[in-house]
Amino acid sequence: MSASSAGLPVASLREVRRHARRLALRHRREVAGAVALHALGAASGLAGPWLLGRLVEDVNDGVDHVTRMTLLICLFVVLQAALTALAMFVSARLGEKVLAQLREEFVDGVLALPIGTVEEAGSGDLITRTTRDVDLLARAVRYAIPDTLISSVTIVLTLGGLVLLGPLLALPALVGVPVLWVASRWYRRRARTAYLRENASYSQLAEGLAETVDGARTVEALRLGDRRFERVNRDIAASYAAERATLRLRTVYLPTIDVAFVLPVFATLVIGGLLYLDGMVSLAAVTAATLYTQQLLVPVDTLLFWLNELQIGGAAMARLRGVRRDLAVVERERAAPATESVDAGGFEVRGVSHAYRPGHDVLHDVDLTIAPGERLAVVGPSGAGKSTLGKLLAGIHQPRTGTITVGGVPVSELPLDRLRTEVALVTQEHHVFRGTLRDNVVLGRPSADDAAVEAALRAVDAWDWASAAGLSAAVGSGGAELSPAQAQQLALARLVLADPHTLILDEATSLLDPSAARHLERSLAAVLAGRTVVAIAHRLHTAHDADRIAVMESGRIVELGSHDELVAAGGAYAELWRSWHGGAG
Amino acid sequence: MRHFPDPDPGRPSRLSPGHYLLWLARTQLAVVLLGAFYGVIWPTAQALMPYAVGRAIDDGLTARDRGDLLVWAGVVLALGVVQAATGILQDRCALTNALGARYRTLQLVTRQATRLGATLPRKTSAGEVMSVGVADVMQIGRALDVSSRTIGSVASIVVVAAIMLATSWRLGLVVLVGVPLMVWAVALLLRPLHDRQARLRDQQAELTAHAVDIVGGLRVLRGIGGEELFGRRYHAESQRVRHAGVHVARAEAALEAARMLLPGLLVALIVFLGARQVLAGDLTGGQLVAFYGYAVFLATPVRRLSIGASAIMKAYVAARRVVALLALEPEIAPGGPALSGTEDARDLADPESGLAVGGGRFTAVACTDPAEAAALADRLGRYAESDVTYGGMPLRSADVEDVRRRILVAGNEARVFAGPLRAELAAAGPADDARVLAALEVASAGDVLEALPDGLDTVVSSGGKEFSGGQLQRLRLARAVLAEPDVLVLVEPTSAVDAHTEARIAARLAAARAGRTTVVFATSPILLDHADAVALVDGGTVVATGTHASLLDDPRYRALVAREEGAA
Repeated sequence: MSASSAGLPVASLREVRRHARRLALRHRREVAGAVALHALGAASGLAGPWLLGRLVEDVNDGVDHVTRMTLLICLFVVLQAALTALAMFVSARLGEKVLAQLREEFVDGVLALPIGTVEEAGSGDLITRTTRDVDLLARAVRYAIPDTLISSVTIVLTLGGLVLLGPLLALPALVGVPVLWVASRWYRRRARTAYLRENASYSQLAEGLAETVDGARTVEALRLGDRRFERVNRDIAASYAAERATLRLRTVYLPTIDVAFVLPVFATLVIGGLLYLDGMVSLAAVTAATLYTQQLLVPVDTLLFWLNELQIGGAAMARLRGVRRDLAVVERERAAPATESVDAGGFEVRGVSHAYRPGHDVLHDVDLTIAPGERLAVVGPSGAGKSTLGKLLAGIHQPRTGTITVGGVPVSELPLDRLRTEVALVTQEHHVFRGTLRDNVVLGRPSADDAAVEAALRAVDAWDWASAAGLSAAVGSGGAELSPAQAQQLALARLVLADPHTLILDEATSLLDPSAARHLERSLAAVLAGRTVVAIAHRLHTAHDADRIAVMESGRIVELGSHDELVAAGGAYAELWRSWHGGAG
Repeated sequence: MRHFPDPDPGRPSRLSPGHYLLWLARTQLAVVLLGAFYGVIWPTAQALMPYAVGRAIDDGLTARDRGDLLVWAGVVLALGVVQAATGILQDRCALTNALGARYRTLQLVTRQATRLGATLPRKTSAGEVMSVGVADVMQIGRALDVSSRTIGSVASIVVVAAIMLATSWRLGLVVLVGVPLMVWAVALLLRPLHDRQARLRDQQAELTAHAVDIVGGLRVLRGIGGEELFGRRYHAESQRVRHAGVHVARAEAALEAARMLLPGLLVALIVFLGARQVLAGDLTGGQLVAFYGYAVFLATPVRRLSIGASAIMKAYVAARRVVALLALEPEIAPGGPALSGTEDARDLADPESGLAVGGGRFTAVACTDPAEAAALADRLGRYAESDVTYGGMPLRSADVEDVRRRILVAGNEARVFAGPLRAELAAAGPADDARVLAALEVASAGDVLEALPDGLDTVVSSGGKEFSGGQLQRLRLARAVLAEPDVLVLVEPTSAVDAHTEARIAARLAAARAGRTTVVFATSPILLDHADAVALVDGGTVVATGTHASLLDDPRYRALVAREEGAA
């Protein structure tokens, strides 16, 4: 198990192989059935050329078996078609089953990831795994594995047929093998990176155009037209270089294997022909051997094509298997210390320092007591450590030193279901899920009825537009688009319905316009009476409305007190209040 | 091979889809023709292969002539080598053609997008342009890619037909009628399969969107709950996709059977007829083997021909969308006289709202409705036609290029582009580090710069995704300040920064723009307090003017900007 840069694990090659073997064993009857059907189908395919060889010999000798032979050829054609179709269906059915299982296991694993890991890893890597790797694996399972199987079986049987015709006739068919082997190895080693680069260059082109199009007004305002044209030309140059690189590989590889394919035909003709002239093999055998050798071309080509794809599928599986429910360190679901109920929240923060990178503390020795039911506002310039304090209070990270407790229990040790009743964090980042408006609100309390949903939406001033759209309206990607402000209201409504003892609002109303934000905060305050609220805000009215205000600077709490106290004290907050208030107060 | 990008993509002579495709082909005619030449030789060599094998059997084996055997076997090998060489040469030409068409179209689309500018979202959608730039460009490239192969296929069909008809016209006719019929029948069977595959792809995309949704909202799900609900839904949808997949596999298997059956039976028919002719002495055994080869071979060029035809049809549809995009005209046409001289800062006036902006002054506009602010800013910058005058001259009669140079409207929707930070900030042209740093200082964005690993050389990503809303807003402000326009119109430039930072920005901005005209749309008292003059706009017209302090006595103004009890 090795860790990727983003912190999400990737399964080892051994684990992938072991799992593939496990899957094959679990479905051994289906696998065996598919292989047998493919083999029988391929074997029937070999009958045609053989019969043709016999026929040519017979008619050359003036023997008339034409009708019987033709009927036999037809029979084998029908047989081959039926068997192959059946084999394809059986292996596809199995493939779909395994594929569904793999992707479902992956999503279950994602849903069980520890909160801290989710925060640290970011969504980029997970999204790539969810989209690209699932697609690559699907491609491998749907096409690469069956085609590889069919080609391998066909090659083995065709070679077997050649041996039956005469062991000597099988030898010329193999003259292309060393060439193919070396050329494919050479190509495969280089192709992957070259094609990845080519794909990346197209993403780059698309991204450049997307920027130009999305930012068309900015392009006009700042007169960036020429720069955008330079950008597309740069991207084209990069794409062209990447295309040339893959073309160079193909220029070496394709002619080589083309010649490697014709060599066996040539060799069979010459060697088989000489053997025939020496009376060592029959004319029928040489004819059939020549045709078989030509027939080998298609499956060998297919096999070479998919070998690469199989490797890619394996790598995708390694990344998918890296995120699994049984691997996710579900630390919170471990038996937690049996604690008495810690009603109404209330925090004790003692000597807390925290760093994301060793040696770079963003919080320094913070002490803070938050009483149950208190409303505390945290203000200060960006980078002061406000959000970090919020995350630590919410139990997302464990502080580097010091303790944060709720009713005497360290927050980061509460089991997940308990933590959720205790404290919830809403940030500026908002996400509207695909589903109905109702789905988006009831996350934390799936049993909630419509009346409760309505109450929650009313509490965040969202009922006007929500009732106009209807609770069953489809929202999120693919549904109706909500404005960022509406999305923030939904996030808050979710929280109201989930009803934890403590709410941490990190710029949770920043996307609403100022007067709407203030109105929302007031109606929210009415609903949350008695709950502990920690509000991190850049708008000072939030601070003004709070019980106490903590002013943070460079990772420290520099002032703490009520609005009136702080204004009277004439410190940093008072100064700020005056300027923000524009000298009116 | 040619070299791309072409510094000047040129201009299509006429904006119709057919002409556009022909124009593209003409820009690289030599490569198209060379490709067609290889495209003829390549399948011809392939088509001659069965003939040579047949002769080797007849002349070498049946006639027991060692010399002829070696000669014909040698011909087989030589044909193989020619095929390999012309195959790759043809591929190279095809790729050059495809890339040329693709790149040239992309250049034209990009140029058109920049020409449309602010008009673009009004005349078309970003999605439409992207689909032209990504999908349609590929379709057009593909048509040029297959052009030489299509020409080659026609040639090889002619060659094989000629050989067959010369050998045995009866058998030849059977092959020539049978093979296209077979290809046509398979294509007919393919159509419903394609529909099913498309449906499966859609379902698969739905499923992926579902998973991406879960990942996107994972923090929420893990924070508040709902994993079980979403997990269950994913499983259900995944199983639906599985069954759709099996459904498609059934159709695919049936089609595969047909694809083996039809040519197999055709070959059997040819063998039957051919063998009778051999018995009658009209045909040799080797010729029969060759006919078997022809029948197998011909399926490929015939299929290629139909692929080529469908690629050209698709490219025609794609070209129609391209030319429709290229035909769009910006709403505000360039041309007209330049705005009068820059000797001194000039007044800006909007008769519609009654707003008057004094030249060289820092004016703040407080609008009761944010939409009103956006509309007014659009008029001041001539993004919408109006009677706004600059130094007494109506903007509508001036050259829009010149208006853009002098008046910069910077709002929060302005885009940050990917590239080295230094270059992205210096939108108006290269600026030395001292000026860039000064602009960052005005925007109080020094801390943003400090956090970057390579300082001003750091390559920022598209849209500045790595920055928070407040950081991005300050970078945008720095870019606008650095452009040093005669008139700078800022819309809510500090809405996402904390009060501390806002106070710093307000003071520095006023100082940095001293002597030049600045208009700031804002409702924050911190910014308003730093303005030389403040105008209150309600219902689309200026209802009061003065300074922040004097206006505070106006209850409408107070209700909008002051943040005390009872004001909201």
